[in-house]
This record gives sequence, C-alpha cells and structure tokens, in this order.
Amino acid sequence: MSDPTKQIDLLVVDNIQTFVGQFHILEGVTVTVPKGSITVMLGRNGAGKTTTIKSILGLTPPQEGRVVFNGMEIQGKRAFNIANLGIGYVPEHRAIFRSLSVLENLKLAERKKGDFDRHSEFVFGLFPDLKRLYKLPGNHLSGGQQQMLAVARALVPDNKLLLIDEPSEGLAPILIQQMMEAIKALSETTTVLLVEQNFIMASQLAERYTIIDDGKSVKSGLMEDLVHDSELIHHYLGASIKTREELEKAHES
Amino acid sequence: MKAKNKKPLIIIAAVIVTAGVLALLYITAGQQTFIRTALSGLTLGSLFFLVAGGLTLIFGLMDVLNFAHGSMFMLGAYIGWQLYTNPTFIFGLLPQVLAFASGVLITPIIKPYLIRWKVPEYWIKILPKIGYLLSLLLFFVSFIGLDILGLADTAMVAATTATAGDALAEISVQEPLAQYWFRPILIFISGALVAFSTSKPGQKSEFAPKEKMIRKLIIPIALFILAVEATFIRETAPVTILLMNGNWRFIIAIIVSIIFGFAFGAVIEITLIRPLYVRPTFIIIMTLGLSYVIRELVQLLWDPLAYQMVRPPLFAQRGKAASLLEWLQNGNATIDIVGVTIPTYRLFVIALGIIMFIFITILMTKSRLGMIIRAGVQDPQMVEALGINVKAVFTVVFGLGVAMAALGGIGAGPFLPIQPIMGDHYQTQGLITVVIGGMGSYGGAFVGAMILGMARAFGDYFALKYSLSTAIAEASTVIIMIIVLLARPQGLFGKKE
Repeated sequence: MSDPTKQIDLLVVDNIQTFVGQFHILEGVTVTVPKGSITVMLGRNGAGKTTTIKSILGLTPPQEGRVVFNGMEIQGKRAFNIANLGIGYVPEHRAIFRSLSVLENLKLAERKKGDFDRHSEFVFGLFPDLKRLYKLPGNHLSGGQQQMLAVARALVPDNKLLLIDEPSEGLAPILIQQMMEAIKALSETTTVLLVEQNFIMASQLAERYTIIDDGKSVKSGLMEDLVHDSELIHHYLGASIKTREELEKAHES
Repeated sequence: MKAKNKKPLIIIAAVIVTAGVLALLYITAGQQTFIRTALSGLTLGSLFFLVAGGLTLIFGLMDVLNFAHGSMFMLGAYIGWQLYTNPTFIFGLLPQVLAFASGVLITPIIKPYLIRWKVPEYWIKILPKIGYLLSLLLFFVSFIGLDILGLADTAMVAATTATAGDALAEISVQEPLAQYWFRPILIFISGALVAFSTSKPGQKSEFAPKEKMIRKLIIPIALFILAVEATFIRETAPVTILLMNGNWRFIIAIIVSIIFGFAFGAVIEITLIRPLYVRPTFIIIMTLGLSYVIRELVQLLWDPLAYQMVRPPLFAQRGKAASLLEWLQNGNATIDIVGVTIPTYRLFVIALGIIMFIFITILMTKSRLGMIIRAGVQDPQMVEALGINVKAVFTVVFGLGVAMAALGGIGAGPFLPIQPIMGDHYQTQGLITVVIGGMGSYGGAFVGAMILGMARAFGDYFALKYSLSTAIAEASTVIIMIIVLLARPQGLFGKKE
C-alpha cells in the first residue's frame, strides 16, 4: 500500500499471557498491526485467536505482556476505555442485540452524538440490505444480515482499528464475497486485525499474517510469502486448508 | 416462527380470561362492592408495582435479587415522612452529606494527576488503604458529639402532638455554628481522602478520560456551595418548609425521597454490591443482611413505633366530593364514584403507579439509557466493547430501582402506618410479583402487581363475607404464583431461558 519503511505500527501486542479462569490460554502472543493494513491471525480452532482479540480489548485482560495502541499502553485498562480510544469490535458470534431494532443496534454504537448520521451513508453504501431492514428487531435477521449489522455497528463511530473475528463464519459463498468486498472497502480508511478460518478469504484480503498455535504466536510475515509456503500452511493450519492455487483449482472444477 | 403465530391467540385468551374473572367478581360482589374492592386492589397493586418494578429492572440487568428492597421502601417512607412532619433531622445532617459527596466527587479532578504521580511500587498498594482508614477516622470524628438521636426525636414529637393539617413550626435549636463548622470541613476531607484512594495514586494502568476542567469542576463545587449554604440554614429551613402549604410540602417530600433513594441505591451498589458480582449467592446474603441493618438503624433512630403520617390537605378535608373537579378544588378526603365512596388518596396512589409505569416504558423504549439497559440484559460484555461504561449503567439502574421503591414508600406514607417492618410485606409481595410477571420484565411486573393487588383485595372481601380467615387473602398470592409457575415457568411475560 504505502512505503513499507514509513509504516507505523498502530497496534503492538507484545508477548501477552492471558488466563481465562484457571486456564492459561495465551502463553506468549506477539502481533503487530501496521497502520493502514489488514493483518490476519490464522490458526486452528482453539489456538487462542479470539482470546487474543479479547485481550487487546480488555475483555479478558492479559496478566503479562504489553498491548500498545497508537503509542499508548492499554493493557489493564477497562474495556470501555479501550474501545473509546477508537477500537471497533466485531465479535465471533455477531452479538447482535436481539431486542433492539437494526437502527437501535447502530445508534447504540455511537460514541458522540451524530456519529450515526455522519457515517450512515458509508455504512448503508457497504450494506444496502440494512437500510431496508432498519426497523426490524435484531432477532428477525438472518445470519448473514446479522453479520453485516455487526460489521456496520463497528463502523458507526470513528474507529482507528477494527478487530473482526471470523466474518465469514456460517455465511453462504455469495455473502462471503460481499463481506470481503466490504472489508476491502473499509480497510481503505481503517486498519483491520482479522481472524479468519477461510484461507482464501484471508489470503485475498490481508497483507500480513500471524499464525497462532496452542496459545503462542509462531510465525508472522507477509501474506504473499505464506501463500507459496504450502508446507507451513499444512503444518499449522491443518490438512483442511490448502494453498490458494489448489483451492482455486478445486473451485474451478 | 410457530411461537409468533400463537401470540395473538394468547393475548385474546388472556383478555377473555381477565374479562371473565372480572365479570364473575362483579356478579358475585355486586356493583358497589366490586368498584370499592377493585379500586382498593389497584391501590395495593400500584404499591406492589413500585417495589417490583425496581426489583425486576435490577434483576433483569444485573441478575441481582435485592432482598433489601423492602427496607429501602421503608426508608423512603421514613425520609419523606421526616421532611413532611419535621425536616429538622434532614437539615441537621444535610451539610455533612453534601460535604462528603462533594469531597468524593473531586475524583475526576485529581485522578489524572494522581495516576501519573511516581510512587514507589510498595506504596501503590499501601497508599489507598491509608487513605481509606484516615477517611473513616475523620468520618467518625466529624460526628462526635452530634446529637443525631435528638435530631431524629424532633419529628417524633411533632408526629405525636401535631393535629391534622398544621404541623409545629418553631425553631429547634441547633448546635451553634462556632462549634459546628468543623464537622462539614472534616467530612469534606474524609470524602476527599476516599477520592484520593479510589484514584489509585501511582497506578499507571488506570485511565482518566480527557474532559474539560470546567465540566469536572461543576458538580463538586456546586455541592460544596450547597453544603456551605446548608450549614447556615440548618435552623431556619425546617421552619420555612413547615410553614409551607401541606401539598407543596408533600411534593417536596416525594422529591426528597426519590433523590435520597437514588443516591442511597447508587452508594449501596458501588460499595457493597459491586465487589460481589462474581459471587451471586453472596449478594443475596448481603442484601438480606443489609435489610436487617437498615431496619435496626431505623429502630434506633425513631423507635419501633408505628407513626401515622398526616394526609396532605388535598386529601384531608372532611366531606365527600361529587366530582373530580370538586375534589381538586376543596381537597376532600373522599370522593363519590358511581355511588361508591372512595378515599381520594387511593386514587393518588393508583395514579402514582400508572405514571411510573408509563415513565419506565418511555425510558426503556425511547431513551438511550433504555437502549443500553435492553442491550445489557442480553450481553453486557458487548455493550462494554462498544465503549459504554457498563458498571456506571449498573449503578444508575440500581439507583433508579431504589428510587422507585422509595417513591412507593412515601406514596404509602399517608396510607400505611410508618414503622420499621412496613417494608417486609412489600418485599415478599414484590418478589412474588416479579416471579409471576417474569424476571426482568417491567410490563410483567405491572400486570403481576395488579393481579396480586386484586387477589388481595377480593380475597379480603370474600374472607369477610363468608367469615373465613383473612389468611386466605395472603395465601392467594402464593397460590397464584404456583399456578403461574406450573403453567409458565418463566412467568407471564418472561423470556424462555
């Protein structure tokens, strides 16, 4: 995108350790997210990707290590304070408020008065469906519509960073395509840290990757290098995920 | 989808059943008795709702079952009654309360500096503890020699000697200012020490949101000025209020009860409940214990006697009004409704319940706070992740719930004997109401409260008519609860888990 030497890291997760209850979930995760890019966290189910996101936000605060956002250490701060620094969150299971209408779900995400009015055009431009549905209560939406609403909700306030957890989970292929385009479009103004199991989607969107395995970050680098390293993919991401070429071939046939 | 199609059917069935029951009661009791009993049922139902509404809101959002809610209802009645009968006690303590609050609320001003203060690692943990201890010490020192029991006695004397309508209005001598002035100062410092400790000096991971200095200064300075003001009007203000028209005095009593309830609830949530959210059963035990503590304190201050609050003039005049207009003009004690004589104060209590129901409905559906509450009931973590301070919302909702109970208390004041155990009955009925209506549903609480009120009133009537024990009426509410629970375990308006 821009000159790599000039890139600043918007978010640095430095060797964090997180316990959830009795369980030592993260045993040293390091992720850097350069400003203006999409970085993806890859790894098997239960590797600790979602916990990493929650640790950044302070929902499961890390016991050790540092989280630096925009030059400021944020570990140990309360979640709402962290979010108010300009971090949007699209959780794994969407967490749409069922008893609130689509409009109320969006309005709730306002941090300043008028946030929604200023960004509604952009949000409805990305997800035209939502405009049609805005009076419906959240529990009347389909899975795909809920996912769009969850992303839209993170776009209502001015966020510098979006944490998006599994946006393609449970979506039909056509919706995955739409979601991908939306994320691509919003990444032009916002930095994104993505968790994604769908390797095609991840490889097409992200410029950088970090692989998390068993609570540790094991490898990170540029996406274009990873795509050609089928052995690495195979080793950490499991047999089910193939390289892009193979997947594309499979898709064509 | 199947459940959606059933909804209209259920509503129709409910309407038919309700209409049927009412018609049956109408036929068996006759028109006059029916109207009288129904209105008395609605009065009770209104009071039940004022207790249950807060209980259900608090339970819905925080999963806290507040067993001290009845005591807070009782406390609201006492505070309102104090202000109405003789506010010397309230004005005697007001300077200290305001000074303490002003001290505590300087937190946002000093916090940004304190957390950047370089303190040795060892002192980071010790400093707040020293602060709290010193603050506690100063708190008690500031009360040494203050005759709180004497202040409380003033209203007791007034209550026993005042005749209907005119209260005593003579200056009750207070401690001279030369001796008194150190109390508010000490307690302000005590509050400031609490602010110092809660700011966690030296703790770098703490966060102080940026805000304009002027906005931070407004509240503490305003409270401080009020505290100074209150120090000077300790003797004259009670007289001024007692010389007011009784109706105005009653309105002020209601407002004071609501403010007191909100502040008391917020303080209880922050200090006692917040540390226990991780241990829900402890909260039940804690609130149960709290209810006894409140009751004992009230007994200590005002003796375990039952007081009768004088009805405000609007409801006190002898004679029966023929119409609403006549009542409002003359302030009759009773009113004629289709040939039935009804005490006008009951209509006021019913109106209070309905107004509060409408208020909560608007609050929950139209306001941002209501939106946050509805979202928080489902997923407080996600609400927090949107940048909303959920802890603060919990405090506000707890305060609102207690304020409603306190409003119920002062509303019941001219209607029930004011005594330390007056809340117990409303505590149990409130809990039963919440269970019938469905945990967390304020609409359910309203319907449940009205059902219970009616059951109590008609139970009493039939018990009298067929010379049965009145215990039947009391048992009827529990029987209704059991029937509802068997048919719909989640309550009438509750959501399935």
